[in-house]
Amino acid sequence: MSRIPVTILTGFLGAGKTTLLNRILTEKHGLRIAVIENEFGEVGIDHELVISTDEELFEMNNGCICCTVRGDLIRILGNLLKRREKFDHILVETTGLADPGPVVQTFFVDEDIRDKTFVNGVVTVVDAHHIARHMEDTHEAEEQIAFADVILLNKCDLVPAEKLEGLEKIVREVNALATIHRTTKAEIDIAKILEVGGFNLDRATELNPHFLEPDAHHHHHHSDISSVGIEAEGDCDGKKLNDWLSKLVQEKGQDIFRMKGVFAVKNQADRVVFQGVHMLIDAASGGPWAGRPRKNSLVFIGRNLDREALNSGFRACLA
Amino acid sequence: MKNLGTFSAEDHILHLAWNGDGTRLLATPTSGSILVAGADAQILETLPGHGMGNGESAWFLDQPVTCGFDGKVRAGSREWNLGRGLIERVKASADGKFLAAAQGKALHIFDAEGNDALSLRDLEASVVDFAWNPSRTREVATVGAGGATLWRLGQKKPFARFDWGGASLRVGWSADGRWLATGDQTPSVHVYDIPRDHPLHIQGFEGKVQALAFSKDSRQLATAGSAVVTVWPMTGKKGPDGATPIQIEGCESPAQALDFSSNGQLAIGDGAGTLLVITFEKGQFRRKRSQFEGGISSLAWHPSLPLLAIGHEDGRVMLLSLE
Repeated sequence: MSRIPVTILTGFLGAGKTTLLNRILTEKHGLRIAVIENEFGEVGIDHELVISTDEELFEMNNGCICCTVRGDLIRILGNLLKRREKFDHILVETTGLADPGPVVQTFFVDEDIRDKTFVNGVVTVVDAHHIARHMEDTHEAEEQIAFADVILLNKCDLVPAEKLEGLEKIVREVNALATIHRTTKAEIDIAKILEVGGFNLDRATELNPHFLEPDAHHHHHHSDISSVGIEAEGDCDGKKLNDWLSKLVQEKGQDIFRMKGVFAVKNQADRVVFQGVHMLIDAASGGPWAGRPRKNSLVFIGRNLDREALNSGFRACLA
Repeated sequence: MKNLGTFSAEDHILHLAWNGDGTRLLATPTSGSILVAGADAQILETLPGHGMGNGESAWFLDQPVTCGFDGKVRAGSREWNLGRGLIERVKASADGKFLAAAQGKALHIFDAEGNDALSLRDLEASVVDFAWNPSRTREVATVGAGGATLWRLGQKKPFARFDWGGASLRVGWSADGRWLATGDQTPSVHVYDIPRDHPLHIQGFEGKVQALAFSKDSRQLATAGSAVVTVWPMTGKKGPDGATPIQIEGCESPAQALDFSSNGQLAIGDGAGTLLVITFEKGQFRRKRSQFEGGISSLAWHPSLPLLAIGHEDGRVMLLSLE
């Protein structure tokens, strides 16, 4: 049975999530999309595909942020997955103040849900007019950007064109991996929202950490959330790599929002791809190198990341 | 076993419930129309569904009560629109005087006139499941993130609380009112000895415990967290603490449905269509095993006859005589 893709939609209060949701629900895209809305906004409740729910967080293991999941989602998805008539896609909207972590983790931690669905991507709607202030004032806005695979820099009509470049740089400093689309009234090709593949390990091979290298000339925003990219030639020692990653997520997992990597592992002909959210890591064979240079690329997005320590830690794993 | 008849709903059967005298069976699918059938499997009534999904239905004042993802509760010609937020189940108190519906952080409680002044609102956590105390009918237990909370109608503060920090999915209250048991997301069961104010944590289940049932005489608790159903003796001073449970094998996939009959037989259904009917005798048990097409998602014994309603994942409901 093929797994149903799930898109997680985040965004700060007033950023335009509801506008985007209404667009997804009303446009003729030919897909049957179930929407689980968490913020009781202006999406028509009578819409046949909308489910309204209260966010319900619980810890699978006491005190572990990485094992905090959304109980309401587990049950709703459990119900939806029992249906005779299946959905093509499920979209989960979070509240403006929500940390996307528990939503994403729900799809990794609960076995039933993991077997029948997969997180296709996290889409974050950002209010271009207010983002600088939101990021100064709250952690949530930054965290939502940090988790994103796709960012809609929305309400661009309210910002002078010459300022948009600077805003993008602010967003990029937090999350250098996400694709950014500039939008007004959340007008965007829905395919760019639904066909993200951000949690698809195959897509992890598309990583390019080059643009994550520190740029001394562009410090627009002083955030404790940032992206660190590492690239290295040569093969890794599989055991050393495994030990390092395990120790890293054990010690720093709470601060690592997202991580992705492609590795060349000694004695393995194919690429090894991995991705993770906090302490949860998923790894698999990424297929043959197919003529591409055999090298390692990995990216971390998180809080208080120690670039030097990550670099030296990884380089110590080289065979 | 004799098949007395079959009828079909539009979708996976979520819940089955007989009315008090066993003349009508309420069959609730996950989506689509909700059916009321007689004990001969003839459909008597078709009730409208609740949009994106139905919740578990109940009988109240001998009327079928339905609820669902549209935030509505319907009882006969009455409809309560409780606003946004799905409703996953409604249940009537044992004396039939109150009806409760869990919706987010509220437990709406209605009396026969439809007044909801006794409702519990703005609770600390969402109510995932709840159970009325069968012996003290003005008490209700709610479970969700954190554990179990016990309430007396009319009081705004709980009279007992069993916090364990995790999340419970199901709650059952023994008929004598002594035991409260929760099936948990973390594969475990919590059992609370209410008079002794003593919690017990039972671990070792393979998967989350989505089904549990007390026998009608309160002497046994059946729990399903895998293909093996564990039946705990509740008769000792400490209940299951230190006691040896009965392990019932025979399912081909995790057990999804459990129900005790009025005479103490236990019915178990799994996702592979296996039905086990267990008869307990002096600490031993006899097992009758049958295989059906389509996973079994819900079971309900007739309140007085040896008649079992079996709900399937494909929407069929079969009435089986075990005379």
